[in-house]
Amino acid sequence: MRCDYACGSHETLSRRSFLGGTAAGALSMLGFNGMIHADSAKKLASQQKQVVVFWLSGGVSQLETWDPKPGAETGGPFLSIPTSAPGVQISELLPYTAQQMHHLALVRGINTKENNHGKGAYIMQTGRKQQPGFAYPYLGSTFSHHLAPPNSPLPGYISVGAGGSSAESTFLGPRHAPLVLADGRAPNNLDRHDALSEERDLLRRTLRSKISQRFEQKRKTAHTEVYNESFDQAAALMSRSDIFDFSKFSDKDLERYGKHDFGRHCLMARQLVEKGVTFVKVGHTNYDTHSENFNFHIEQLGEFDRPFATFISDLYDRGLLEHTLIICMCEFGRTPRINSRIGRDHWGTAWSIALGGAGIKGGAVSGKTNETGTKVIDREVNGGHLFHTYYQAVGLDSTEEFYPNGQPIAKADPKTEPIKEILA
Amino acid sequence: MFQQNMRVYVSLLVVFLCPAFAPQTARANSSTDSAAPLVAKKPTLPVARRISPLIDELIQSGMQDYAKVASPVCSDSEFVRRVYLDLTGRIPTVAQTRAFLNDTSADKRAVLVDQLLNSPEYARHLSQRLDVMLMERLRKKYINVTDWEEFLRESVAENKPLDQLVREIMSADGADPKQQAAARFFLARDGDVNELTRDISRIFLGADLTCAQCHDHPEVADWKQDHYYGISAFLVRSFVFTDKKKKQTVFAEKAEGEVKFESVFEVRDKTSKGPETTLPVVFNGPKVAEPAFKKGEEYKVKPAKDVRPVPKYSRRAQLGDALTSSNNKRFARTMANRLWALVMGRGIVHPLDADHADNPPSHPKLLDLLTEELIAGNYDLKWYLRELVLSKTYQRSSTNELFASKSAQELADAQFTHAILKPLTPEQFSRSVLEATGQAELYRNSLKQKLSEATLRKNLVGYERQFVSLFGGLPGEPVEGFETTADQSLYLSNNGAIQGILSPRSGNTADRVLKIPADQPALIAEELYLSVLNRRPEATETKEVAELLSGKTGKERSEMVSDLIWALMMSSEFRFNH
Repeated sequence: MRCDYACGSHETLSRRSFLGGTAAGALSMLGFNGMIHADSAKKLASQQKQVVVFWLSGGVSQLETWDPKPGAETGGPFLSIPTSAPGVQISELLPYTAQQMHHLALVRGINTKENNHGKGAYIMQTGRKQQPGFAYPYLGSTFSHHLAPPNSPLPGYISVGAGGSSAESTFLGPRHAPLVLADGRAPNNLDRHDALSEERDLLRRTLRSKISQRFEQKRKTAHTEVYNESFDQAAALMSRSDIFDFSKFSDKDLERYGKHDFGRHCLMARQLVEKGVTFVKVGHTNYDTHSENFNFHIEQLGEFDRPFATFISDLYDRGLLEHTLIICMCEFGRTPRINSRIGRDHWGTAWSIALGGAGIKGGAVSGKTNETGTKVIDREVNGGHLFHTYYQAVGLDSTEEFYPNGQPIAKADPKTEPIKEILA
Repeated sequence: MFQQNMRVYVSLLVVFLCPAFAPQTARANSSTDSAAPLVAKKPTLPVARRISPLIDELIQSGMQDYAKVASPVCSDSEFVRRVYLDLTGRIPTVAQTRAFLNDTSADKRAVLVDQLLNSPEYARHLSQRLDVMLMERLRKKYINVTDWEEFLRESVAENKPLDQLVREIMSADGADPKQQAAARFFLARDGDVNELTRDISRIFLGADLTCAQCHDHPEVADWKQDHYYGISAFLVRSFVFTDKKKKQTVFAEKAEGEVKFESVFEVRDKTSKGPETTLPVVFNGPKVAEPAFKKGEEYKVKPAKDVRPVPKYSRRAQLGDALTSSNNKRFARTMANRLWALVMGRGIVHPLDADHADNPPSHPKLLDLLTEELIAGNYDLKWYLRELVLSKTYQRSSTNELFASKSAQELADAQFTHAILKPLTPEQFSRSVLEATGQAELYRNSLKQKLSEATLRKNLVGYERQFVSLFGGLPGEPVEGFETTADQSLYLSNNGAIQGILSPRSGNTADRVLKIPADQPALIAEELYLSVLNRRPEATETKEVAELLSGKTGKERSEMVSDLIWALMMSSEFRFNH
């Protein structure tokens, strides 16, 4: 049974938003000519870094994952289990993940003070509270902008089974908007038409862009910019169509990851990371458990646990984990109070996320909630702290600023700082 | 046939029309339009007054420097392309383009507008726009999509008043075979009260009340939970019922049932007053009271197993009237705004479903005028659209010297100082690709005597569907802004359906271009540019074409022509209605 809270539908990001578009509004407002690319030295140093976000949409329960309270009135029926990280216990619903805990750190003191799906998702993916008149880029676009090698034919930000909107990149431009793999498929029409030689194809494109340029003189170009960019992206994707060949997973791998969409999406993410894609978002959905919270979490986490753990262990085995930051998060946690429908509602006041890999101290825990999980009692953090942490984990200075249109925009909320105790 | 007759028709109109009484004459003359089996009936609505000049006045007064910074009136080339796209959903053919550009009469723009408004293509195009507005490309459920499309097309063709159309849709339950198609609005949404409440308020009332389902809207002070449930209350007794004997699914109704609501926030705060109920009501209008019946006497047909109940009093039957009643200006205002956005590229209230105090219209007086006039004009779509497209505001060029300079930021789209670039809709894009390549012309020629809007569309609809699936957005979701996707550009670049129509075939664009002698590059460039971009080439463009084709013969030359057509057709100039 799906919990049908209409408000959440605002965050339903469209399958089809690929390479930019509604970014146009923000682009035109800010004009992105003024953007400064001067942080190139830092960029060089961190060029190898990659990021993978697991997005558990709807809001997974912290009590059934990273911050269990067995025995408390709010604790629910599940026990906690020891993990591969000494002294760290998590919910028994995550037995495979528990074995990878030495690679993961937990942040248990999050208070984003936001119980709305859309606004919560915004905070977690931009590090800011939503405010009228200004749109911050989402982290996929931000890290694509900072970490993707210049002129790379690879898209900097690919979203697998997690939706994504072209509006996410805002002033960073369509180049850094998510490429959404619809239904976890590679894009169609990736191969050049038989009738065309490479030379003809190139000539057509060159002509196309020349004709467009003539039209764009003296016209407002926010939309056309995005349209032109999409042809460049198409050409780039064609030249690297190998990254989308998902046909060669071994039976053994398919078995290890599980024969369901999420398992397959994790395998796809592994391949994208291996092939050098800078930022990958993988989605797992339906955690909005206003009723039947516990049954839902058995089911959902039962599907999530093993592929997630296998992904981390595979990345480690292949030497990729040391330069790949993993973030497992969602828009908010769930209420300690169990409602009359055996559900838990929206709760941004005291909840947790997990992160691991590049720049993260495996097995570390930051923050603490009280016995019933209703309040953060130690090391309270919000979206700003998390963003400083992500930046610093991949070796970027989070105190710098963007300069869209010459206006300084802090990369992460200057009133906050990184969560140093979990940084390696 | 339509196309063959067009020139004759244009000249007829030129002879008969005189600008002073243009609207009346156009109406009277529309019956002489021999364009064909599908032509609009003669409108019977009273002639409403000209409001184009008022529109321009009110737009101009919205900005101090307007006269100084506004773009000039667009060229004939810009106009002919724009108005064909907006009123018929495709670019003009090369012959239509030439005819218009060569026409020297002073009132040719008004003449063309009347001609297009009375064409069968207008009925198809506008009904498609209404379809997308009403159904947001929801897939088939119970009702045949083709029947619904035909219902809309006929309604537009006979220029049915828009409020009447909406009342017909809101009252259709699908039981009467004659109105069955109109029940698609309810049935495709599976009669879901929340989905219908959301869509009715968004589409007809300019208010996305989604967030007011669980609590008063957190961001919009004007929108309360009561508004949401006021609409829901019309629908709460209705449900989808399948008559097994008749094998028919209808939107049936019970005689009892109330909406109950409480804020999810209040529950959490323990301050809840307990669930509330409301009578049906459209926003702040009067609540629709209902007659009381003695217990046991509420039904004409009592509910029973496999029997469709029929209550004596239908709550839902009140919905259409309440929505379109003079008590509710929101309906006319939202429709005026939506139709404005359709041709101008942006609403006066924008976004279109965010009409509330914190998001005021860019030109409040203008929106008031349009609302009043739409009501006074009896929701006459043709008249309203005619007034919009004959305004100077509509006819401004999309170019503006200021865009090249730093002060471009002064030119906000909301001031309507210039024509806003409108991305072609999937239908416009596919149809225009077929016109530009001459593929549509091939079909016209092959249909000959049987040529009508309907037969032509039947031949082209396969292409249209491909474009709709790629460019049309998610079913059930409104299109917001301009989105480009990798799938789209890869399709345009590599798919066989596009590549296939570029090569020369007798009578198509590539064929016509290749038949022009190689020593006449100016004519070649002109044919290419008029066919694809509906304008004559600039000198540099002619030179470019000449250089690219120079010395090329046979297959090489033919390929270059196809590549040129592709490049022109994929340019921003083609992708946008400018």
